[in-house]
Amino acid sequence: MSRSTALGVPVTAPAGRRLSTPFTALVGYTLRACLPIRRWFGVLLPCAGALLFGWLSASDSRSAEAAFGDVAEIGLFGLVLPLTCLVIGDAVLGADIRAGTFPLTWLSPVGFGTIVAGRWLGGWIVALVSLVPALVLATVVAGVPEGAGAMAIAGAAGSAAYIGLFVMIGAAVRRAAVWSLAVVFLGERLLGGVLSGIAQISPMWESQQVYAGLADDHGGGLLLRTGTPNGWSAVVRLAIVAVVTLAVASWRVRHLKPTGGDE
Amino acid sequence: MAAVPEPTTPEPPAAPPPPPAAGASGAAPTTGRAEAWPPPPPPPPSGRPDPAFVADATVAVRGASVWFGQKVALTDLSCSFGPGVTGLLGPNGAGKTTLMRAIVGLLRPNEGDVAVLERDPHTDRGVQRSIALVPEDEAVPAALSARELVRYTAALHRVRDRSLPDRCLDTVGLVDVADRKVRGFSKGMRQRAKIAAALVTEPRILVLDEPLNGADPMQRVALIDLFQTLGRQGRTVIVSSHVLHEVERLAGRQIVIIRGRLAAAGDHRAIRDALADRPRSVLVRTPEARRLAGHLVGMDAVRGVTVDGNTVVVSSPRAGELAELLPVAARQAGARLREVRPLDDSLESVFRELLR
Repeated sequence: MSRSTALGVPVTAPAGRRLSTPFTALVGYTLRACLPIRRWFGVLLPCAGALLFGWLSASDSRSAEAAFGDVAEIGLFGLVLPLTCLVIGDAVLGADIRAGTFPLTWLSPVGFGTIVAGRWLGGWIVALVSLVPALVLATVVAGVPEGAGAMAIAGAAGSAAYIGLFVMIGAAVRRAAVWSLAVVFLGERLLGGVLSGIAQISPMWESQQVYAGLADDHGGGLLLRTGTPNGWSAVVRLAIVAVVTLAVASWRVRHLKPTGGDE
Repeated sequence: MAAVPEPTTPEPPAAPPPPPAAGASGAAPTTGRAEAWPPPPPPPPSGRPDPAFVADATVAVRGASVWFGQKVALTDLSCSFGPGVTGLLGPNGAGKTTLMRAIVGLLRPNEGDVAVLERDPHTDRGVQRSIALVPEDEAVPAALSARELVRYTAALHRVRDRSLPDRCLDTVGLVDVADRKVRGFSKGMRQRAKIAAALVTEPRILVLDEPLNGADPMQRVALIDLFQTLGRQGRTVIVSSHVLHEVERLAGRQIVIIRGRLAAAGDHRAIRDALADRPRSVLVRTPEARRLAGHLVGMDAVRGVTVDGNTVVVSSPRAGELAELLPVAARQAGARLREVRPLDDSLESVFRELLR
């Protein structure tokens, strides 16, 4: 039977699937629209790099734990984790803002916090299905399978915080990739290397300390850093970093003046 | 493109549908005052409504100024929009898009304010339920299909009717290609996909920035009909376009912005009449053209007369006075008037004169 809406649009179309809730739609949009094929290459490339680091570690003549400790510190937590999260974190919000497609989401009754959380969750899901398995596989390939669980937790917690950080940067500045790289390599790597205060809020150092604390008996202890929380305390610290960065991102999105792609 | 029938039992809009306002599509043209720019518009004569404002406003712009660094986009702009279709006109860079972005809340004026349903669209998320924007720019999430795009918007607005997205796609003629990626669409198809995404929210206030860009003639006619239908339903439809003759067809009321200022408001004839100090040409067709021309030549209200066969073209600085004198002159000359029409009453000519 024919109906008409307020738009005067005739009802001839099939009912279709049930419409999602706003939050589900936001997560779905993040997975479908924010990460096109090219971005997936950007995600999977460092993941492949993680496996190479694992093999590199396996070929080392030292004990598997000692070799993997070095590779994990420099390669996995120092490069693969931040770079993969940068690609994901920038894609889920910063790239959308720069492309001019963000007004589609902004112009809705959905709260800014929900928007940011939905985007972040979408990005984190991507990290959980790509980065975390790659890190775990690298640990196994390196000959330290006992550390795989700790690596999974470190990867999940570290990517949660990192994606939050990059979402925040994407909402705050236009050249998000440049700023993100500066934060990782100048802020975290250089300053965090010498200043414990920075290391304590650095996803790079804290995710490393998650592994160090949880895999203490399997070579992780070699990575322990004094003055920085480790193990589950570091997981809590990373969760706090994620929450704070998302709160700042929400505040920033509230004050955003999104422009169209041609402007 | 699917026809958009008049709803037999129109669903009441969120607010009671008021009678067709000054700008309501299809309504009789207003007898509005209009001011040319510069100078800035003087206050309206007492007792006559200012055509920049409507009584039943859903969108009110009060002294809005917007600037981006050194560039001023809007200067002390005040106007309002009510139910019906209103055309927003102005040359490129006039500030139309800035005004539209302020109306939907994408930016906040540096000075003055914009109120939608008496709320601030920039900070009040609730008011976004009632607004939809169809931006001019090409930015659409290219990885999505048209159906996904519309369903995404519907989900964000908590639309309950699961068939509405497909019906909106049908309305803009995209239902057959709804599963194709938007990246493969032509400009006109993208524009229609964005219109479908706006319609699915059933907005009380629909803001369309150059919505007819890229549409072929058939689609233009269908879209104009659609916008007029929406206007008749009591929705506030604000349409900017540079295709002026379409705006004439589409909107009874126009707001003209030039260099960020309100240049004129009202229907295009009222705007044209306001430019009384500029010469205006009227074509008169009569078998007694030479005789009529002889009577017209000496009149104060006539600046020049050209005769070509049965046609007299009269140039006058005071159109209103000429309208009164012409029948008198015709009677004196014994001329039977076959046709009398202004030659420069189109919106293009209004525009040209406002830009001078």
